Amino acid sequence: MSVSHLYLHSPFCSSRCGYCAFVVEVDALEKRDAYLEALLTELEREEHRLGEIETVYLGGGTPTLMRAPRLERLLAAIRPRLAEGAEVTIEANPETVDRALLESLRASGVTRVSFGIQSFRPHLLAALDRGATPEQGRAAVECARSVGFDSVSVDLLMAAPGQTLDDLEADLQDTLALAPDHVSWYELEMKPGTSLERMGAPTADEDVAADMYRRTVSALEAAGYRWYETANFAMPGHECRHSVAYWSAADYLGLGVGAVSTVGSERWRNASGVDRYVAALGRGDDPLRHRETLDDDTRRRERWMLGLRLDGPIALSWAGPPDHPDAVDRLVGAGLLEASNGRLALTREGRFLQNSVLHELMEYA
Amino acid sequence: MSRVEQDRIRNFCIIAHIDHGKSTLADRILQLTGAVSEREMREQLLDSMELERERGITIKAQAVRVGYTAADGNEYQLNLIDTPGHVDFSYEVSRSLAACEGALLVIDASQGIEAQTLANTYLAIESDLELVPVLNKIDLPAAEPDVHAAAIAELIGVAPDDVLRVSAKTGDGVEDVLAAIVERIPPPSGDPDGPARALVFDSVYDQYRGVVAFTRVVDGELLTRAPLSGMLSGARFEAEETGVMTPWSTPTERLGAGESGYVVTGLKQIGDLRVGDTITTTARPATEPLPGYRDVKPMVFCGLFPVEGDDYPALRDALERLALNDASLTYEPETSQALGFGFRCGFLGLLHMDIVRARLEREHDLDLLATTPNVEYQVTATDGSVTEVRAPADLPEPSRIEKIEEPFVRCSILVPADGVGAVMGLCQDRRGVFATMEPIEQRQQLVYDMPLSEIVLDFYDQLKSRTRGYASLDYELLDHRESPLVKLDILLAGDPVDALSLIVHRDFAEQRGRALVEALRETIPRQMFEVPIQAAIGSKILARETVKAKRKDVLAKCYGGDISRKRKLLERQKEGKKRMKHLGSVEVPQEAFLSVLSIGEGAKSGAKQ
Ligand SMILES: Nc1nc2c(ncn2[C@@H]2O[C@H](COP(=O)(O)OP(=O)(O)O)[C@@H](O)[C@H]2O)c(=O)[nH]1
Ligand SMILES: C[S@@+](CC[C@H](N)C(=O)[O-])C[C@H]1O[C@@H](n2cnc3c(N)ncnc32)[C@H](O)[C@@H]1O
Ligand code: SF4
Ligand SMILES: [Mg+2]
Repeated sequence: MSVSHLYLHSPFCSSRCGYCAFVVEVDALEKRDAYLEALLTELEREEHRLGEIETVYLGGGTPTLMRAPRLERLLAAIRPRLAEGAEVTIEANPETVDRALLESLRASGVTRVSFGIQSFRPHLLAALDRGATPEQGRAAVECARSVGFDSVSVDLLMAAPGQTLDDLEADLQDTLALAPDHVSWYELEMKPGTSLERMGAPTADEDVAADMYRRTVSALEAAGYRWYETANFAMPGHECRHSVAYWSAADYLGLGVGAVSTVGSERWRNASGVDRYVAALGRGDDPLRHRETLDDDTRRRERWMLGLRLDGPIALSWAGPPDHPDAVDRLVGAGLLEASNGRLALTREGRFLQNSVLHELMEYA
Repeated sequence: MSRVEQDRIRNFCIIAHIDHGKSTLADRILQLTGAVSEREMREQLLDSMELERERGITIKAQAVRVGYTAADGNEYQLNLIDTPGHVDFSYEVSRSLAACEGALLVIDASQGIEAQTLANTYLAIESDLELVPVLNKIDLPAAEPDVHAAAIAELIGVAPDDVLRVSAKTGDGVEDVLAAIVERIPPPSGDPDGPARALVFDSVYDQYRGVVAFTRVVDGELLTRAPLSGMLSGARFEAEETGVMTPWSTPTERLGAGESGYVVTGLKQIGDLRVGDTITTTARPATEPLPGYRDVKPMVFCGLFPVEGDDYPALRDALERLALNDASLTYEPETSQALGFGFRCGFLGLLHMDIVRARLEREHDLDLLATTPNVEYQVTATDGSVTEVRAPADLPEPSRIEKIEEPFVRCSILVPADGVGAVMGLCQDRRGVFATMEPIEQRQQLVYDMPLSEIVLDFYDQLKSRTRGYASLDYELLDHRESPLVKLDILLAGDPVDALSLIVHRDFAEQRGRALVEALRETIPRQMFEVPIQAAIGSKILARETVKAKRKDVLAKCYGGDISRKRKLLERQKEGKKRMKHLGSVEVPQEAFLSVLSIGEGAKSGAKQ
C-alpha cells in the first residue's frame, strides 16, 4: 500500500495569534536548521511508504518563515517522487513573503499558495493578533498571481469576537474584489488555552453565526465559487486536491512535529516539541508518537463524518452502511437528504445541518 | 455493664435551629467524657453518613451513652440522643424527645432565637422535658450573650443566669453543661420491677443482623436472648444481642429501666418493628403500650425514572434497600408515556428528596430523571368516592371531579422588622392566609396558613433571598382545604408530555403556564425542526413559545491532523444526546423536567402585576 499524499509541518511562528491552538513555536527561529535536518531525516525514514506523490501540503505554523534556501532543500528532496501534475501547496502569512520568496517557491515546484488573511478589517486583525495589514494581504495575493502559481487561495474567519454582519459583508466584498481561485472561510473556534479564550472573549450568538455562514455561502456561490466542502469554496478546477484526499478518507503521511499520518488502519501523531523531535531523529529513532488503531467501524464512521462534508453524494458501496438506516427516510422527508441508487447526498439545507444529520445516521460512541 | 441505679441515669437530647451548633456540642461532650479519644475524634462524629457530612446536616437520630463523674464524686450514665436540624426531618425530633427527660436547647449567641428554636421549644415543653438553655458560639465577635440570654429566659420561663454560655468550638463552658445535665434534668422514673416496656425510637436494617431497634427502656428490663415482642406489630423475636452505643456498638447483658440502647432482633423487615412500637417480654408482657408517634407521612412526591430503561429493576432494588432504613420514603410503580417505567416516590420534603436521589445515583450508580415534585391531593369524585392523587397525570377528568383538597401548613417565619413587608408579599403571592404576627426579641414572628404546594418548591430560597438570609422558617401540617385546582398540561411539538403536567391554582394557571413554557424554551436546545411548546388546560392553550430550529450545525474546520479529534468531539456530543430524553422527535434535557423549580421569582404563582 503506497501513500500518495504528503503533509510537511513547519512549526515556527513570529507570535501566537489569539485564536490559534496549532502546534507552533515562537521565538525559536534559531532551531530552523536543525529542524529541517530532522524533517529530512524523518522523510528518509518514511519514504518507503510513499508511492508517486499526488499532493504535498507545506503547512504550519508559518512555513514561509523557513525562508527560501531551506524550503528549496525540502522541495528538492521530494521533487523526484512527484507525480506528473502534482499539487504542491504552501501556507503563507502575507507579511512573511516577498516576490523573491514566491519566485523561488514557484521555481521549486510549488503550484498553490494559501494565504492566511483572516480578515480585511484592521480592528479584527488587531483583535486576532495578526501580523499583516489588509494591504499586505492584498499585495501578497497579487504578487503570487503575477509569479504564476496555478492556484491562489485565501483563508478567512467568521464569527470572530466583535465581528458584525456588516464586517463580514465588507470582508466578502474585499475578498471577491481580489478574485482568489480558492477560499477557505472558517468559523472561529474558541479553543481552550488560547489567549482569546482565556480573556473570556465572547463567542458569537448562535443566530448571528448562522446568518454569517449562510451569507458567506450564498455570496461566494453567486460569484461563481463552488461550495465543495463545508468551509471551502473553489473556482472550477481549483479545489484543493490535498484536502479532498483527507475528506475522502485517503491515506496520508504527515511529517514534522505534531503531524498526523493515517495509513490503512494505523494512525499516529508525532508529539509536539521541536527539541524532542530533533533529538530523537538525531539519535536515529522515530520521534515520539501517539498511535491509534482504527477498527473497521471507526473507519466507516470517519468516512461518513468526512464524506458528508463534501458536496458530492456518498456512495454506500464506498462508505459502508449507516448505523441508523431507518433515519434516511425521515431525513429525506424533512428535505435534508436525497437518496438515489445507492447514493446519499445532503440537500443544500442539509449541508447547513450536516452535523445533526450525521448524528441521526450514525452512532458515535 | 453493671446495673446502674435509675437516679444515676440522664437521658437527654440536643435541640437547636440548624447550624446553631448541636453536632459540634455533641462532639465536645463525647470528647470531654472520654468516650472518644482525640485520635478517634472526627469532626461531628454523630453525623456518620457521608451525605450528612457533606451537607453538614444531621438526618438520623442516634443515641450515644457516655459515663460522667460529677462533682459529687458519683458516676453518671448520660444517654445523648442527637436530633436532626432540618425542617424536613422535624418529626425525627419528636421521636427523640419521647425518649428523654430533658433537652439542651442550643442557641447561637450571635443569632438568637430562630423559627426552629421556637418550634423545638414548644415540642419539648409539650413533651414535659426539662429544658437546659445553652448559648453557643460565645467565642464569636458578633455574639451578644446578654441580649439573647434575656430573651431565652423569658421564652422558657427561667432566670437569665440559668442560661449557660459556651463555645462548642473551643470547649469553653462545656463542663458546666455536663454538670447542668446531672443537676437539672430529672432521672428516669419508670418501674424497674414492672413488666418490660421499651419505646423504639429508631430502627435500622442491617444486612447480617436484621432489624436493629434503638430503644429506650421505660419499665422493667430487656435481657439478651429473652423472647420479646412488639406490642403494636405483634412481631415475636429474640433479643439476639442487647447493647449500647459508646459511640461504637458495645454488647451488654441487659438494658435496664431508664437506659437507652439497641436490641438486635433478627427480624427481616423494618415494618415488623416500626419506630413508635413498644417492646415487651413474652414471658411477662405489659398490658398497655407506651404512647407512640404519629405516623410519618411523606408530604412531597415526584416521579423517579431511570434514564436508561434497562435500569428499572436496579432502581426498584435500590429503592427497596433505601426504604428499609427510611420509613418515611415511600415508592410505588409509575408508568409515564414520556419517561417509561419508574416510581412515584414520597418524601418528607425537598431536602429529603434530594438526599434520596443523590444516594440512589451515588451509592447505586443510577442515572435518574426526576419530575417536578408535587404534594398529595384529596380528590372527591362526583360519585362521592375520595382518592389521593400523588401525580398530576392521575387527576381524573374535570367533569368527574366534585372537589379537590390540598394540604395546608402552618408556617412560622421569624424576620427582622425591615423584612416583614417582603415576607408578607411573598406569602401572599403564594396564597398564604395571614394568621398572626408578634414580636420575639428584636424580630417579628409571622404566622401564615399556606398551601404546602406553594412552599415545597423554592419558598425557602425565595424567603432567604428576599430577606438577605435573615428570615428563618418552620412549618407543620395543618389540614386539607378545598381549592380551585386544575391540571396544567405541557405540549411539546403538539403532544402532551405527561411527566411535565402540574396541578395549579386556577387563577395562577395562565401565569405559571407562561413562565413554564418560557423556562422550557430556555432549557430545550434547538433541534433540526422548530419545536412549539404550549401550556394548556384541557384543550385551551394558555401560553406558547417556540424553540427555533437550528440554522447551522457543522464542525467548522476539519483537516488531516484532527480527524481523530473531530471524531471524539462527535462521541462527546453523542454522550450529551444520550443524557437527553427523546420525546417523539424532540430531545429534552433532564433539567427540563425540573423547570418549574427554575421559574423566575414572582412568576411562581401569582405575583400581582
Ligand atoms: N465560632 C464557633 N463556631 C461554631 C461553634 N459551634 C459550632 N460552630 C460552627 O457552626 C457550624 C454549625 O455547627 P453544627 O454543629 O453543624 O450545627 P448543627 O446544624 O446545629 O448541628 C459549623 O460550621 C461549626 O463549626 C462555636 O462555639 N463557635
Ligand atoms: C493553522 S493556520 C496556519 C496558516 C498560517 N500560519 C496562518 O495563520 O494563516 C491555517 C488556518 O487555520 C485557521 N484557524 C486557525 N485557528 C483557528 C480557529 N481557532 N478557528 C478556526 N479556524 C482557525 C485559520 O484560518 C488559518 O488560516
Ligand atoms: S500564524 Fe498561523 S499558525 Fe502561527 S500562530 Fe498565527 S494562526 Fe497559528
Ligand atoms: Mg448537625
